[in-house]
Amino acid sequence: MRPLLSGLLLMVMSQLSVAEGLTFALLEELTVSPAQLEGRFSQHKYLSSMDISLTSRGEFEYQRGKFIRWETLDPIQNELLVTPTAIVSRQGEQNLMQLGTESNPAVAVFSEIFFSVLTADWTKLAENFELFGRVDGEQWQAELQPLNDSINQVVSGVILKGDSLLREVILNESGGDTITIQFEYLLP
Amino acid sequence: MKSALNSGLIAIAWLFVLLITALLAFSQPTAFDSSIMALLPKSEQKPLVQQAVDQVSASFSKRLTILVSGEDETSVRSATATLSQSLAMVPEVSTVRWQVLADELKQSQQALFPYRFSVLDEHVRETLLAGDFNNLQQRALWKLYSPLAMSKGSIKEDPFGLFSELTLNQKTNLNIQVSNNMLKVSGTEKPTYLLLATLSVEPFSPDLQQRLLNIIDRQEKQLAAKGISLQKSGMLLHAAAGARQAKSEMSTIGVGSLVGIVLIMLLVFRQLKPLLLMLLPVAVGCVFATAITVLFFDRVHLITFAFGAGLVGVSIDYALHYLCKRRVSLSAQALSNLLPGLVLGLLSSVLAYAALALTPFPGLRQMAVFSVAGLIGSWLTVVLWLPVLMRRDKTQPLAFSEWLACAQQRFPTLHGNPVLMGVIAILLLISVFSLWNSENDHDIRLLQTSPASLLAQEQTVQKTLGVSSSSQFLLVSCESLEQCLQREEQLLPELKALSPDESVIDYQALSSVLPSLQRQTENSDLIKQLYEQQLPVFFEKLTLPTQVLTQTKRNFETLQTQRLTPAYWQQQLGSADWKALIVQGENGRVATVIRFGGFVDDTVRQQLKLLAAKYLDISYVDQVQNVSNLMASYRNQVVFWVLLAYLLVAAILLTRYKRQAWRILLPPLLASIFTLAILVQLQGSVNLFHLMALILVLGIGLDMGIFMNESGGSAHTWLAVSLSVLTSLLAFGLLALSKTPVLHHFGLTVLMALIFSWLLAISMRKNHLREGNL
Repeated sequence: MRPLLSGLLLMVMSQLSVAEGLTFALLEELTVSPAQLEGRFSQHKYLSSMDISLTSRGEFEYQRGKFIRWETLDPIQNELLVTPTAIVSRQGEQNLMQLGTESNPAVAVFSEIFFSVLTADWTKLAENFELFGRVDGEQWQAELQPLNDSINQVVSGVILKGDSLLREVILNESGGDTITIQFEYLLP
Repeated sequence: MKSALNSGLIAIAWLFVLLITALLAFSQPTAFDSSIMALLPKSEQKPLVQQAVDQVSASFSKRLTILVSGEDETSVRSATATLSQSLAMVPEVSTVRWQVLADELKQSQQALFPYRFSVLDEHVRETLLAGDFNNLQQRALWKLYSPLAMSKGSIKEDPFGLFSELTLNQKTNLNIQVSNNMLKVSGTEKPTYLLLATLSVEPFSPDLQQRLLNIIDRQEKQLAAKGISLQKSGMLLHAAAGARQAKSEMSTIGVGSLVGIVLIMLLVFRQLKPLLLMLLPVAVGCVFATAITVLFFDRVHLITFAFGAGLVGVSIDYALHYLCKRRVSLSAQALSNLLPGLVLGLLSSVLAYAALALTPFPGLRQMAVFSVAGLIGSWLTVVLWLPVLMRRDKTQPLAFSEWLACAQQRFPTLHGNPVLMGVIAILLLISVFSLWNSENDHDIRLLQTSPASLLAQEQTVQKTLGVSSSSQFLLVSCESLEQCLQREEQLLPELKALSPDESVIDYQALSSVLPSLQRQTENSDLIKQLYEQQLPVFFEKLTLPTQVLTQTKRNFETLQTQRLTPAYWQQQLGSADWKALIVQGENGRVATVIRFGGFVDDTVRQQLKLLAAKYLDISYVDQVQNVSNLMASYRNQVVFWVLLAYLLVAAILLTRYKRQAWRILLPPLLASIFTLAILVQLQGSVNLFHLMALILVLGIGLDMGIFMNESGGSAHTWLAVSLSVLTSLLAFGLLALSKTPVLHHFGLTVLMALIFSWLLAISMRKNHLREGNL
């Protein structure tokens, strides 16, 4: 019994130590995928054309597969609700924007990327991205390259970092801008 | 001897006339028409409307849509690719669309980027018109802070993200999204991909149908094993199914009726020659009719042939009467005995058919010319050729005719038979009552010949893709495209008001992608105000330096007079799907089509009609409705002219037969009424094709009565009449078995009406036939 157990342990260890060995399956093992999660975020958006960075902070919560509520509190107040069928942006009482994914393929792509990245939906990500990355103990870093053009038109690459939970997202937009999001006070 | 020489000369003269006519007619190229709309009276079809209809239907008829679906996404994708590639190999397939290359998409978007200030997203324009400039600034700001990677392009070029709003909200009219470069159908249970093949030619060539369907069928079988199914839609499939059905019916019904006729003729005459002599006049008649029709009309409609040939079939009577008479008397005598009947028969049938020529419908006029020419041709052949061809034949009474005459004697007559009279009177009353309460049926499905499974598939495809077969549209016709676009822009708010939630009316209008120049100027003026009011505030919030503001303003100023011209737009890839909406008429007139998707119900249809009625230059076109109306007016015309034909024939018959004329007129008339009454009970209504059959019945019925009266009901006449009914039943009545609705209706009517007519003719014969003549 014991040699078998230690053998298994060895195998896992050896996999962990090899940097190129990061697979979606492994990420699935390393992370917990909570059905719901809430916490705070800070976001830096680098605008390449202006060479400036815009920082914002706020709170978020999601229920996997159902919705993501993204509430920016500073410097503007805005509530963004992303569901599999729609993207709604509200400012106070006013709807700033409402887009349906059904009739609009481009919106569907935004929604899909946002959902799968933020909720660390590895199965969904595996469909759209190629994975490069490394694992260091509990910490891992995953670099995702789009597999197809419809994703590539929105993001040229995504970097995810985390432990049992996703801690940081870097979205390299195809237009040249970069969005970096860090999560804190995560409550599954 | 001299008269024999004379008749020989006249026979040769007729041969010459025939040959010269045929030579004249067939030396020039003839155009054939199969479009049902070509049957519409000229004045009713505006040329521009017709052109639009043609354009819309051509875009449908040359297109083959295939949906590939299955459980496993990857294999569905590869199946779509394989099928597309093999279809693209067919030379007549001009394009196969199944993938969208990223470069193409980018290129078509980039081409429109310089026009971002004059071509605006609808929602943005509404916000601007409402004066809510602040809203757009807030939106731009939010997008900069949004975690969605939605901000496209540089702040200096497009600070309010006008272009990304435009491209983001560009809706496809199909339920299609580009998924990994391929066209994926949204909202389906299983992964489904779209493939659109466009033909460079009309889909009616059997060879092309065969080759394409072979490819599709083979792959469909292979794919079925992998759990992948195909749903197909396109004119080609219907055309192929129609051809297949026609072929199979030709080999069952067609061969059946031919074998039947041959058997009967052989049985009765016990020789091959009479059969050939019977068919010769019909064949000559058809050739002559075709030649004359071609000479009279520059385009000949296929329906003219179908029904015209049927009507010429009446001429088989003349041949049969001659053949039967010839058995009991010599050549010259036979003809002179028959001649009054033959002349009268021809005269009455020609009158009945010629009545159709007076109608305003080109289709009926052609048919009239065709059948009148055909009848005359056949008649001349019987009168001039048969005596010559049969001059050496011996007289030889037919055993069959004696037997038939005996059988007939046992059949009850009206004369002194109040019970039979009463029965007929009651039947007549019931029939008239039933007809009185009948409804009209101009269902276009009558013209539909496709099997139900194909139609169901067609509907599935349309429903899945969210398209309609677009049989209805609004046509905006103006002096110039710019005017059309302006008119559309005026109209669209009203259209939208009809369906606030867009669920009722889903339309596709050119002006939504190519605004009028006037509208573009309005738009860029609005953007100018937006820049003046909101740009400084916006940039202040972002703490951007003033030189960025100046630069951004300058960027706008250089582009604010840029206009998207129709000429430039038409060169762009993105315009491909929209070009079909422009109809370029003669004399520089132009029209645009506003197409509707989804299901347009009656309420909406009424609203659209009202809307179109408000403007002189907008017309509502409903193809299905047009065809139905066409069939309805043809039907009413035919009813009227059939009645007129009866009156004309009655007038002629009265001059010769005086009070005995009813014996000739009543059998076909009563038979027609009874048949119509039964049809109403069986099928719920009477349509054009039933009535066309009744014209044939009138022709055969009249001949029947005339010859019976002329010969005093002699045995050989009775045989000829019965043979004529029997062969017509075999030739046309068997069509009742056809699966093609038009032929089925025609056949069923002939079947019933001829049998009734025959039975009535027997019972209305003069009693004691053998004793006296007229």
